[in-house]
Amino acid sequence: MSDPAALAFMRRLREGLDSGLELPDALTRGATALPREARDTLERALRRLAGDHEDDEWGFDEDFADLVEPFFGFLYDRWWRVRVEGAHRVPAHGRALLVSNHAGILPWDATMISVALLREHPLPRHPRFLVLNWAFDLPWISAFIRRVGGVVASPYNALRLLEQDQLVAVFPEGVKGTGKPFGERYRLQRFGRGGFVEIALRASAPIVPVAVVGSEEIYPKLADVPALARVIGAPFFPVTPTFPWLGPLGVVPLPSKWRIEFCDPIDTAHYGPDAANDRGLVLELTEQVRQTVQQSVYANLVCRGSAFV
Amino acid sequence: MSGRRVLITGVGSYLGTLLATRLERDPEVEAIVGLDTRKPRRTLERTKLIHADIRDPGIAPLVADAEVDTVVHNSIVRQPGPGMSARAMHDINVIGSLQLLSACGQAPSIKAIVIRGSAGIYGAEPHAPQFFGEEMTRMFPLRTRFQRDVAEIENYFETYSRRHPEITCTMLRYQPAIGPSLATQVTRYLTQPACPTYLGFDPRIQLVHESDALDSLVAAIKRPVRGAVNVAARGTIGLSRMIRMAHRPLLPIAGPLFGPLTAAGRRLGLDAYSDDFRRLLRYGRGVDITRLEHEVGHRPRYSTAEALEDWVAAA
Repeated sequence: MSDPAALAFMRRLREGLDSGLELPDALTRGATALPREARDTLERALRRLAGDHEDDEWGFDEDFADLVEPFFGFLYDRWWRVRVEGAHRVPAHGRALLVSNHAGILPWDATMISVALLREHPLPRHPRFLVLNWAFDLPWISAFIRRVGGVVASPYNALRLLEQDQLVAVFPEGVKGTGKPFGERYRLQRFGRGGFVEIALRASAPIVPVAVVGSEEIYPKLADVPALARVIGAPFFPVTPTFPWLGPLGVVPLPSKWRIEFCDPIDTAHYGPDAANDRGLVLELTEQVRQTVQQSVYANLVCRGSAFV
Repeated sequence: MSGRRVLITGVGSYLGTLLATRLERDPEVEAIVGLDTRKPRRTLERTKLIHADIRDPGIAPLVADAEVDTVVHNSIVRQPGPGMSARAMHDINVIGSLQLLSACGQAPSIKAIVIRGSAGIYGAEPHAPQFFGEEMTRMFPLRTRFQRDVAEIENYFETYSRRHPEITCTMLRYQPAIGPSLATQVTRYLTQPACPTYLGFDPRIQLVHESDALDSLVAAIKRPVRGAVNVAARGTIGLSRMIRMAHRPLLPIAGPLFGPLTAAGRRLGLDAYSDDFRRLLRYGRGVDITRLEHEVGHRPRYSTAEALEDWVAAA
């Protein structure tokens, strides 16, 4: 914002207030003096305060997601220097299920997949992601996650989202993935019982395997303190080189170098929705997706070279 | 086809009276019988009123004499009103339903029972799917007394309908209703000087507009379907947005203090919050209404946000 614009804004704001306008109206009037971008941001903020903003039935709030994007963008560009392969392989419209490996205690990988699609995809859209249930019991975090597109990790939610032709990201490793010690990094855990394949089959949604490299180094988990985990009701209590030693600073992730690869989609439509009941097929597809992600993780590890520089 | 004959319990409630009025105007409906200890909210023209308590075993011959084909059970209490104890509420809900069912068993003319139940049976849970389907009642333990009561009522009707396959039992599970003429826990909450919320939580709330609440009931009488059906407005709304739309200030209270502080507020004459309502304010609840739209055949006209707007505009 240039200084003359700011001055003009303050002047009009004061004129508005002097002439007896309410604060929001005066702000709107002052905003006409601002550059377009600043005006948009201010108007958006005012609408939010008046309770007049659009969110969908899941609580996803696109305006809010756009407002916090610069923060994730900073992490993406500067902090983790994310390189993306194959974003064009994600279907540009209609439903699809992104299946990714999971690491790093907090769901930073989900946010980076989001930014990657918004930045690199020719037709960007916000993916929705299934988040570990535990997070929805926490103040602020639960409200935040919902606003940027997270939902409770329930198969019913995934199915409903896919039926609404959304892009849905799942992390079938779940807690087993985020809670594994540093020594086992990039070795994929069991992909649950293949629930995500059942859902994809039922919704006839293509499965896009996604490999994320870099997330394992952000919080190298050296040890676990189960007793403390029980006290706070968390699935595990991580000890990393910085946490809990540095207190809140320990939550700052290390600046590793990241790569994200979107692999070729696996079509499920030709099996038909009834194939979801075929245990054999479900397990076979689960293993195929896991293998694809694992191989892609190894390949990208090699491409990345050193973890931090 | 000869005209329908409908018995409505709880005809003295707002929705009960409205239902009777609606059915009176319906040429397909031959006779309406209203059962309640309270008077209807307005004068009814051709509804035959029976002054009786649903908890009283004496209602059996009255129900049989009415020779109705459909019973609408509309006397389930959702929150104890002023001067009503939790015990009395339990009695009306559970014992009342039991007495009604035993009365139905002695009335061979009955073909359908429609119950205005509650979506409260699902509870309000942090780990719940965003939209409960009708089959998901057993996902979480029953945590509150009201939840256990509703589950017990549902259980009676389920058993009854299994033993009497010739009778269609429709259990309508209502989300909290809102509308210009209703006074409910939600409207009382939104008209306080400030609305207490859980600090850091912004749950998704789903309501139902009073006109959709009535239309769903009428649709279920016209086309009774077997089993449970969720009744709600389309979509959900964040609690904080709801409060802002009602032009009230938010009063965020840290989780552990919420119970004690609102209990203290109760002593000062503010509204009391039931356990169910407190959990709703913390975690919210949504239900899936596919069955209502496709099987019962009522598409709600109001979304949750529109229902709230309508209430705000009228207030």
